[in-house]
Amino acid sequence: MAEVNMPRLSDTMQEGTITRWLKQVGDEVKRGDVLAEVETDKANMEVEAYDAGILEQVLVQEGETVPIGQVIAIIGSGAKTHKGGQSKKVSVTKQPGQTPAVQKDVAVEQPSVFAGISAQQNGIGTNGVFIKASPLARRMAEEHGIDLLQVKGTGPGGRIVRDDIEDFIEQRAISSPTAVQPQPEPVGVAPTGISEVSMGDAEIVTLTSMQKTIARRLTESKQTVPHFYIGNEIDMTEALKLRQELNAALSEEGIKISVNDLIVKACALALEKFPEVNGSYKDGQFVLHKKVNIGIAVDISSGLVVPVIRDVNTKGLRTIAREAKSLVAKAQTGKLTATELDGGTFSISNLGMMDVTDFVAVINPPQAAILAVAATRKTFVPIDDQPVIREIMHVTLSADHRILYGATVARFLKEIKHLLQNPFLLLV
Amino acid sequence: MAEISFRQVLNDTLREEMHRDENVFLMGEEIGVFEGSYKITAGLLKEFGAKRVVDTPIAENGFVGMAVGAAMLGLRPVVEIMTFNFIALAIDEILNHAAKIYYMFGGQTPVPMVIRTPGGGGQQLSATHSQNLEAWFAHIPGLQVIAPSTPADAKGLLRTAIRNNNPVLFLEHLALYNNKGEVPEGDYTIPFGQAKVTKEGKDLTVISYSRKAAIAHEVASRFERENKLSVEVVDIRSLRPLDRETLVNSIKKTGRAIVFEEDWRSYGVGAEIVATLQEDAFDYLDAPIKRVASLEVPLPYSKPLELAALTGVQELEDAINALAPRRRRR
Repeated sequence: MAEVNMPRLSDTMQEGTITRWLKQVGDEVKRGDVLAEVETDKANMEVEAYDAGILEQVLVQEGETVPIGQVIAIIGSGAKTHKGGQSKKVSVTKQPGQTPAVQKDVAVEQPSVFAGISAQQNGIGTNGVFIKASPLARRMAEEHGIDLLQVKGTGPGGRIVRDDIEDFIEQRAISSPTAVQPQPEPVGVAPTGISEVSMGDAEIVTLTSMQKTIARRLTESKQTVPHFYIGNEIDMTEALKLRQELNAALSEEGIKISVNDLIVKACALALEKFPEVNGSYKDGQFVLHKKVNIGIAVDISSGLVVPVIRDVNTKGLRTIAREAKSLVAKAQTGKLTATELDGGTFSISNLGMMDVTDFVAVINPPQAAILAVAATRKTFVPIDDQPVIREIMHVTLSADHRILYGATVARFLKEIKHLLQNPFLLLV
Repeated sequence: MAEISFRQVLNDTLREEMHRDENVFLMGEEIGVFEGSYKITAGLLKEFGAKRVVDTPIAENGFVGMAVGAAMLGLRPVVEIMTFNFIALAIDEILNHAAKIYYMFGGQTPVPMVIRTPGGGGQQLSATHSQNLEAWFAHIPGLQVIAPSTPADAKGLLRTAIRNNNPVLFLEHLALYNNKGEVPEGDYTIPFGQAKVTKEGKDLTVISYSRKAAIAHEVASRFERENKLSVEVVDIRSLRPLDRETLVNSIKKTGRAIVFEEDWRSYGVGAEIVATLQEDAFDYLDAPIKRVASLEVPLPYSKPLELAALTGVQELEDAINALAPRRRRR
């Protein structure tokens, strides 16, 4: 008999939602068969079987969210097939088997017990989520106000043990020192008056895994990364001209280079010159990445994803355009893989097509910076003291002040400006 | 304090108690002229005479029964059973007489007797002469079961046993007799029902008694010297009454425990301790408690097989390494 656990499918994944079971209870399963589809914080992925046999029990129903490591199904000989198994009645019993005539020192594995956590206890929905945690870990979580769903269990069978709670407390202390001590209520202000009044009229929307991750990661970023912002205006007239010419020439190949592709390429070349912008601040050290992997923020119906184009500095515009197009398409259909989402060293958020004049973006840790790109607009600019119409684009770089300083960022932006205003440089 | 062997401290204590109280007398097989199979009673026949150091026939049920009768009439017999294994012949006297009379006869007479006996394996004495049967006796209400691991504890606990008005099984271990240790001088006693933290630690607790408690102490001390894990050792010393409080306090500190016993694993002292801890310290447990015990086989005579069957240093080290919490590993 083998347990199928909720796998860890990305760096930041803490829980997954079963969106669809592709195998039903009683089905024969071979190694490598896809058992279910899982929605993680980043993408929809597949859970494969590591063991062959009969799918005996399905312990997590479609739509339910469970932490990584939790048992979601049991594959066995078929003797214990539970049709329509209810997740609340999980009991994993060992086969009685033959009792060995001789026993020594071998701790007989006790049947795993998933203690139920009620909604009141741990803020979980009523769809029955079971968390395996040692009694000590459970008590510590309660004392420290920790939601066990947020904790990754590293004990046997994914059990949450004291180590994991201590890790969590440590990480929480590092990432948000203020969160540990509740802020005093301001005197004289009726507490939560507004929310109480409006609660009745509001619709409560449950977050998807991805939305939860966005909320968590961006809060973390704004609370722990000292952001500062520097803007610049870039004359895109030449770049747009070049783009038009390139696209005309490449139209037969079906390749269309976007403004964003030009910006990606310009950033890649600039990042090679300014390794700190392509770095990370980590534990009191600067980590300067050798690879230039640029994430591009993609708007999707349920939130936002940032797929990554790798080694951008070594790629030509043609390749960048093709890869970007494919990543955006995958993002919109939820088909991005974990590797396509990991490893970014810099990000670009482009709201140019939305007619945005100016905006700032939130850094995507552990990256050091993100470039916010606004719309390109026809603007009168003085050239030789005469008003001339040029295509002006506003950009703002949000930077982590622990690794980046004003002058560096200013020079970095100036380099991008230089490249985009002399766009033939992007071709060599 | 003087360094004295376990064997010598037992001999000294018996002598001192016989001087202190003329009602104290000894009975057993070959304890007089031969001075005992393990020389615990050396010199005592010469010193106290045949009335107080009685060589008995090879008939455990007979002389344990005599001891019960003597105790009922006000004497304080200290009986030696040559090895723990022979006690089976006297079970009825212990279970149905010694442990019951005070209760069944309305408290008319206590039964202040001590049965001393060495148990344990490792001496190539084979299946019928190497057993650990303490769980049988610790199971019986009305009996007190004591199993020291150091000469100092042997002194303090044997005195308490002889002066105690209940029948006491005082368990010795063949492999401890030559162990030396510092022993407090004077009229030193240790109350029953008090476990002892023989080494402080914070990563996990090893709970043990008798010879295995001595081994656990050595292993834990070595781990500390080698800057490995910080292992706490609790020697329960007294199997009945059991000191639950000290055990629970240790678990509150470490969250994890191993019970290390020479006995067979099933239905043993370890099982009782595990049950106690889950009753009294459930909220402090971070992992299932491990039992490290001996193979459930009659102990073989062959040295390699005997070693393979008995649990020991290696098994304990493996269990400690397997159970230690991730963050505490260095």
